[in-house]
Amino acid sequence: MTFEIEIDGTGRTVVVEPDGPGRYRVAVDGEAHEVHAERAGEFGLSLIVGDGSHASRELQIAPGAARGELLVTLGGRTVPVIVNGRTRARRAADDTGRAGLQMVVAPMPGRVVRVLVSAGDEVAARQGVVVVEAMKMENELRSPKAGKVKEVTVTPGTSVEAGRVLVVIE
Amino acid sequence: MKILIANRGEIAVRVIRACREMGLPTVAVYSDCDRTARHVREAHQAFRLGPNEAARSYLDIDAILDVARRSGADAVHPGYGFLAENAAFARACREAGLTFIGPSPEAIARMGSKTAARAVAIRAGVPVVPGTERPFEPDATGEEIVRSADAVGYPLVVKAVAGGGGKGMRVVDEPTDLLAAIRTARSEAGAAFGDTSVYLERRLMRPRHIEIQLLADHFGTVVPFVERECSIQRRHQKVVEESPSISVSVALRQKLAAAAAAVARTVEYTNAGTIEFLLAGDDADGMFYFLEMNTRLQVEHSVTEMVTGLDLVHWQIRIARGERLDIDPDRALTPLGHAIECRIYAEDPDQGFMPAPGLIRALRPASGPGIRDDNGVNAGYAVPVYYDSMIAKLVAWGGSRDDAIARMSRALQEYQVLGIRTTIPFFVWLMRQTEYRGGQYDTTWLDRVMAARQGVSFNELDEGDTRLATIAAAIDTLLRTRAGSSTAGLADGPVQSLWERAARLEALRS
Repeated sequence: MTFEIEIDGTGRTVVVEPDGPGRYRVAVDGEAHEVHAERAGEFGLSLIVGDGSHASRELQIAPGAARGELLVTLGGRTVPVIVNGRTRARRAADDTGRAGLQMVVAPMPGRVVRVLVSAGDEVAARQGVVVVEAMKMENELRSPKAGKVKEVTVTPGTSVEAGRVLVVIE
Repeated sequence: MKILIANRGEIAVRVIRACREMGLPTVAVYSDCDRTARHVREAHQAFRLGPNEAARSYLDIDAILDVARRSGADAVHPGYGFLAENAAFARACREAGLTFIGPSPEAIARMGSKTAARAVAIRAGVPVVPGTERPFEPDATGEEIVRSADAVGYPLVVKAVAGGGGKGMRVVDEPTDLLAAIRTARSEAGAAFGDTSVYLERRLMRPRHIEIQLLADHFGTVVPFVERECSIQRRHQKVVEESPSISVSVALRQKLAAAAAAVARTVEYTNAGTIEFLLAGDDADGMFYFLEMNTRLQVEHSVTEMVTGLDLVHWQIRIARGERLDIDPDRALTPLGHAIECRIYAEDPDQGFMPAPGLIRALRPASGPGIRDDNGVNAGYAVPVYYDSMIAKLVAWGGSRDDAIARMSRALQEYQVLGIRTTIPFFVWLMRQTEYRGGQYDTTWLDRVMAARQGVSFNELDEGDTRLATIAAAIDTLLRTRAGSSTAGLADGPVQSLWERAARLEALRS
């Protein structure tokens, strides 16, 4: 099977072919690897690299808190991974984002404490636009790009769910 | 003695463990989102307090006293945070005939006011940071404030009398910024503590934060412990604590311990408490100043336990039930080896430490030689948005500081919290920093380094690890496709199991 895997902005084409129990021939952008992989728990994979090194690593692949997010954890670090169609979907969203409207959304449930801009304001990239309180902390949400505020959908005191659009920048 | 634990999370679990070790029955309390939290499951009894908002659950004094009455508890352990330093709560416990496992309401009230606490330190003969002796009246004129500030000297810090955790605190470098800083500090303090009183302190340049844990019984015995080093702070919040401090000599330790004990005796302090000091400059035997007293058990008490082998929660309970403190004072002041604690939060270090609540899919804490993990969560639990986001305290002990750092690095890479972002990657990075490893830091170091990093990821993988992650994601997807499910699908909803959905809804409920 062929997969399109994107980590940290770089997409790679991965071809995986089963080669006996727990054994796989994997080509990453054409470069071949032999891997012995076994499930280790619900989200774990134990890998032994079959290039003669017998390098052994454990990785965890689990859904993250955001919808559709997949997180890979190894050695105390965690990175988001985009598999297949998600790559195209995200790129498309990014492209329209750069060209046109960009949303500032609530990354977590909370309560709007302050609204720092109003419709029509010019904002710089990374300028704070809304302050949301969650987990006893005030979190300033910033504009993803320079532009003009098209719409502010909340007022101080509004309770918001994760993913709710707070400000639209054009 | 039957003990009600008026708290949640890791500290409630910590206290329940001590009670079980001592053969004492425990009563847990919980808000709606904490119904399946670990402290509820590990206590002997559990009672609902109320809805998720802390004000209507863990801060509701009447509700907690009602549970004490209904459960037949005769003692209350407040943990830290919530009502732990609330004199009215300690008084209400006393009036309800309950033993409050902590100091007297009088001591809490006295040391809870920063200006009153400074007066106590002065009376005990302990140096304080130069500053104004009394808070400004609400109607103090600008002229009056400017005159006081000139006497204190710049740069200075405006501090809330009721303050803590960096709230109601403003640094002022220039006289022109003074009155604006007073205004914002007052409004922040009013919102956070319901008290707008502020005062001024000279700002020490690049100090270290050193603190002395102590225990005091009801017979006048005060035992100070070896110092804790808490200079690794992010925005005035401690993130790593150690014991002992690399910058404290045996002679300085004796002086700090004597000063801490003098302050405690002056207020006839009982039970566990901590005196915080600022240590000026780089000179190991430099000047130190009383900062404040915390009239409770602290988050970082565990590092003290690791280097002394003493159990502070056991002692809190024993002191509260009237036992004599018979710890050998030399043992309390003589560390064996070195201990480091990392506070693991449900926060995303790559998003400016934004809270990252959500469902914990799987949990595998670190273990093995020299490791202590105090966590308050479990797989299947959704970290709620309503409370502090600390999920675990990871402590590493080693024969030397270098050994402890090596163990901490090893343990951080073992620790798995799946489903949510945590500060583990940040600590992996921190343990590799030359300044940290060399002990060359002060309370401003971390903020300066973080500002200079400008958002570089703490999760960067090298080429080899990126390739492995890529391969693993592909094989995982292949295996799940064969099995008829996908890991990504779990997050999308359709293949979500009922309990996962319930936990998610719970996390989103507001």
